[in-house]
Amino acid sequence: MTMRLIVLWALVGIPLIWGVSQTLANAMALFH
Amino acid sequence: MLSFLDKSRTIAPSGYNRFLVPPAALAVHLAIGQVYAFSTFNLPMTKLIGITQSAPDDWSLTQLGVIFSIAIAFLGISAAVCGRWVEEGGPRRAMFTAALCFSGGFLVSSLGIAQHNIWLIYLGYGVLGGCGLGIGYISPVSTLIKWFPDRPGMATGMAIMGFGGGALIGAPLSVMLMGYFKTATSLGVAETFITMGAVYFVFMMIGAVMVKLPPAGWAPEGYTPSVVAKKLVTSANVHADQAIRTRQFWLLWGVLCLNVTAGIGVLGQASPMIQEMFPGHITAAAAGGFVGLLSLFNMGGRFVWSSASDYLGRRNTYMIYFALGFVVYLMVPTTGQLGSVALFVAGFAIILSMYGGGFATVPAYLRDVFGTMHVGAIHGRLLTAWSTAGVLGPTLVNLIRQYQIDHGVPKAEAYSVTMYVMACLLAVGFVCNYLMSPVDERYHFRPSEEDRSKRDADSALRRA
Repeated sequence: MTMRLIVLWALVGIPLIWGVSQTLANAMALFH
Repeated sequence: MLSFLDKSRTIAPSGYNRFLVPPAALAVHLAIGQVYAFSTFNLPMTKLIGITQSAPDDWSLTQLGVIFSIAIAFLGISAAVCGRWVEEGGPRRAMFTAALCFSGGFLVSSLGIAQHNIWLIYLGYGVLGGCGLGIGYISPVSTLIKWFPDRPGMATGMAIMGFGGGALIGAPLSVMLMGYFKTATSLGVAETFITMGAVYFVFMMIGAVMVKLPPAGWAPEGYTPSVVAKKLVTSANVHADQAIRTRQFWLLWGVLCLNVTAGIGVLGQASPMIQEMFPGHITAAAAGGFVGLLSLFNMGGRFVWSSASDYLGRRNTYMIYFALGFVVYLMVPTTGQLGSVALFVAGFAIILSMYGGGFATVPAYLRDVFGTMHVGAIHGRLLTAWSTAGVLGPTLVNLIRQYQIDHGVPKAEAYSVTMYVMACLLAVGFVCNYLMSPVDERYHFRPSEEDRSKRDADSALRRA
C-alpha cells in the first residue's frame, strides 16, 4: 500500500513540479 | 465488459489508505486544467496555412478565442446537467466519461486542423472537450468529501488545485510538442493535439482506475463528528432538486459568481494590463512571466485557502476574500501611480490566490450548508455561476477600459475605474456571504416511508 501511495503521488507530483519550475523560470523575466 | 465502472466495484476494501484518493482526483484535474493554457495554440493556429505569417484564409484570433468560451460554457452546462448522473453512477464512470470526452475533443479538433475546418474545433474541443471538463471537474468532489469528513476543505482544495496546476503543465507541454512536430510545411499543431489527447486519456484513466468510494458508514480512525453545533454546518441533507429552491443556493451562486468575475477579468487581461500600466518598464516576456506568476498563486491559493477554511470556517474565509480583495483592488491604481511593479505584482498575487481559493472552498461550503448526500450534484449546478462570470468578467474589463480610452484617459490610467468596479463587485459579494444562514428544515431530505420500511426489512433480515 505504501509503495502504491508513493508511485501515485509521484505520478501527479512530478509533472506538477516540472510545470511549476517552467513557470518560475519564465516569471524571472519580470524581475530582470 | 464495462462493469468495472459500476459504483459497486469502486467501494474500497477495509484498511484502504484514503490518501490514495486525492492523487486519483488530481490526475483528472491536472489533465482538464489544460484548458487554461489553450491560448498557447492561438498564435500558431493563426498561421496554419501561411506557416511563417498569417495567410488571408487563416483563422483570426477572434475566431480562435471562441473555442475557449465554448469550452467554459459547456463546462458549466454539463456540470449542471450531469451532476445527478455523476452522483448516482459513482466517480469511476464519471472520470472514464470525462476522459473519453476530453481526449475525444482533442482528436476531433486535430481533424478540424487537418481539414482546416474551425467548426470541427468548436464541436471537438469546445463542445465535447467542454463536457469532459464539466464532468471531470465535479467527478471526485463528493468522493473526497466522504473520505475526508474531518478536513473537507483540504481534500477538495487538493483536487481543485490540480485544475489550476493543469495550465502550468499544459502550456510548456504544448510548446514543447509543437516544437518537436514542427516541419518546414507544418506547425505541428494537429500532431500535438493527437499526442495530448492520448497522453491525457492515459493520465485520466489512471485516476479513474485508482478512485475508490469509502464503504457506507465509514469514518476515519478516531474521528467523531463535532458535537458542538456550528451555525452554518448541518448534519442534515438537502436533495439537489430542493437545494436550488433555497435562498442559500442563490446567495452562494452570487458569492462564487462575484468572486470569479473579479478575478477572471483581470487574469484574461493581465499581460496587456501590466504593460500598459508600466509603459517602458515591462517587456512582453516579463508580462508573460507575470501571467505565469498569477497562475502559480491561483493554484497555490486553491490549496492554502481551502485548507485554512477547515479552521477558519467557510463563511469567515469568504469574508476575508471579499474584504481583503476590496482593499487590494482599491490600492492597485495607487501602485501604478507610484510606479511600483513589486507592489502591483504582490497585490494581484493576493487577488488571484483568493480567486483560486474561492473555487476550492465552495464544495466544502456546500457540504456545510446542504450536507453530503447530493453535494456533487449541487456543486455542478453552482458552476453555472462560473460560466456566467467567464463572460461577465472579461466583458466588463474590456468595456470599461475601452470607454476610458475613448474618452481621452491615458492607457496607463485606463484600468483605475475597472479596479474600483471590481472592488464594488467584491463588496456586493461580501453582503451575499454575510446573508448566509442555515437552510430551513422544510428543505431537509427525509427518506420516504417506502425507503424506511425497506431499510427496516433489511435490518430485520440481517438480524435473523
